Amino acid sequence: MAILEEPIKGVPLVKNFVNGEWIEPKGSVVEVVNPAKGEVIAKVGVSTKDDIDNAVEAAKAAYPDWRRTPPLARSRILFRLKELLEENFEELSRIQTQEHGKCIDESRGETRRGIENVEVACGIPTLQQGYYSEDIATGIDEWVIPTPLGVFGIIGPYNFPFMIPLWSAPYAVATGNTVVIKPSSEVPLSQMRLVELADEAGFPPGVWNVVNGGRTVVNGMLEHRDIKGITFVGSTPTGRDVIYRKCGETGKRVIAQCGAKNFMVVMPDCNVPRTVAALLTSFFGNTGQRCLAGANLVIVGDDPQFYRSFMDRMVEAAAAMKIGYGLDESVQMGPLRDKEKKQKVLMYIESGIKEGAKLRLDGRKPTIIGGYHDDCFLGATVFEDVRPDMRIGNEEIFGPVMSVLTASDLQEAIQLCNDSCFGNGHAVFTSNGATAREFQYNVMSGNVGINIGITAPVAFFPFSGTKDSFFGDLHTQGKEAIRFFTESKVIIQRWF
Amino acid sequence: MRLNTASETISFLKDLESRSAGFYEALARNHQAEGELFLVFAKENKKNITTIERTYFGVITDAIEGCFAFQIDPEAYVIRTEALPGSYADSLAKALEMEDTIVRFYLDAAGQSKCLMADVPRVMERIAKVRGERRKRLQDMLDKAG
Repeated sequence: MAILEEPIKGVPLVKNFVNGEWIEPKGSVVEVVNPAKGEVIAKVGVSTKDDIDNAVEAAKAAYPDWRRTPPLARSRILFRLKELLEENFEELSRIQTQEHGKCIDESRGETRRGIENVEVACGIPTLQQGYYSEDIATGIDEWVIPTPLGVFGIIGPYNFPFMIPLWSAPYAVATGNTVVIKPSSEVPLSQMRLVELADEAGFPPGVWNVVNGGRTVVNGMLEHRDIKGITFVGSTPTGRDVIYRKCGETGKRVIAQCGAKNFMVVMPDCNVPRTVAALLTSFFGNTGQRCLAGANLVIVGDDPQFYRSFMDRMVEAAAAMKIGYGLDESVQMGPLRDKEKKQKVLMYIESGIKEGAKLRLDGRKPTIIGGYHDDCFLGATVFEDVRPDMRIGNEEIFGPVMSVLTASDLQEAIQLCNDSCFGNGHAVFTSNGATAREFQYNVMSGNVGINIGITAPVAFFPFSGTKDSFFGDLHTQGKEAIRFFTESKVIIQRWF
Repeated sequence: MRLNTASETISFLKDLESRSAGFYEALARNHQAEGELFLVFAKENKKNITTIERTYFGVITDAIEGCFAFQIDPEAYVIRTEALPGSYADSLAKALEMEDTIVRFYLDAAGQSKCLMADVPRVMERIAKVRGERRKRLQDMLDKAG
């Protein structure tokens, strides 16, 4: 298969977009590397505290006019953005593959998911409506107006460079707020292209800002008194110990979507071929770098024949996956995002071996289509005989590693799920409705899958999470995002 | 090498449509009496590419098994469009053979992806149906030419 054309040419410098202008950050410059090819594809400026302060100031200045812009007018700009995203769908998708490494099908899926959030936010004239009660006492009426708050900070991770900021940004601006987005500096190109399109769509200067960088930007956001709230997607230690804590200290609203260790529970009555396909995507899609990725596979029952036949099929399918550069359309799994992330996954594989798990499929020396260097590539790896107390059984690996456990019955499987400190996206595979209900009723997980390996809620549902996978109250996406980005102003009225 | 991913399958389909369109354009040049009809076929092929791609882009998400959607052997769907044979009847016969192959591909791909991306197989089946009508027309023309 030929490699699809790469949209990023040369080595552009990614600048900040503040107040409708491209501004070179004052800090150092770091390289953006295509992980499949090992090539530098861009450079990105690292912003200073001054840079983030200037962006917040611009967003604050733009807020009053933007708030006064009627929801219908805001919605029309979002519609225009949606059109532009559709027109540039393929380019946006290929940028993601080029900077992140994921397969082109996965990138297109990410683009679609991002656009869906813009589509939902286009409904803001009705989504932001309040409610009204006449005569709460004689001659007194009362109503609620969901009002915007001001400037919001949006901190994106590296694993979904295009989509994740769109879980928040469309709702924030639709409701009349202004935003400052900080993409991961490892993958800044998708947000650079997105903000170009947002500008073209007609958002006034200062409404949609992007500031690149690292901790300085994050700390600048957290400490800035004019930022009213922050949405964050990333690791649990940062989300819990830095973002959530600091937002509490500074009185900011917060959504912190964090790490996971998702259990995929397989019942003997499942549809095996469909389950295997779903699990391949769940465990190895996005090279396992997904907070909704399957991590632990729990096979339920005491039938050794079912276990053997299921695992044989699973391992055969995992071993046959085509690995390579995601712009090769035949590729089913791309590289890890960078060498350090691969090293971390390798460390977990070593740990699994040392702790006595059985390495059923070793992905450490994968065959790579196209002959790319294996700096960042790993093949699918499967461990059997995993116990929950092993590191590979309870820590987030964030790579293409499947840890297989067993449970004698559904209750034991649910207990395994619930003993985990995470609660993001557990799932059960079964053809029995009662089993499915019992699982969804008892499992402690923000998102629950029934015959679904990646429990990613669509844009008009909240992206939930619980335990160490989520810190905050309201969630991104849909109606909950509308609530997060607005304050309920309650009016009580009497006329004499 | 089998086609497994949605992306490569859609690309393969686009290539079939595109080469088939080129074939009809060449037919139109070589057999001007029916030139208008062949150009209509070529135009339909190009429209099919847009329709399929738009539908695929509309439904692909990270939550479906797009990278594992198909098991198709492309060798079973080879069409020959490079050189036009001399006679009008030979050209029509070649067109019929090509249409049969493309319809087979559409139906096979639709059958395999039904459970994943409902809109895509629906569009594939619709295109296959329209092509069935085209096939009848080509057969009539061949019968008359023969």
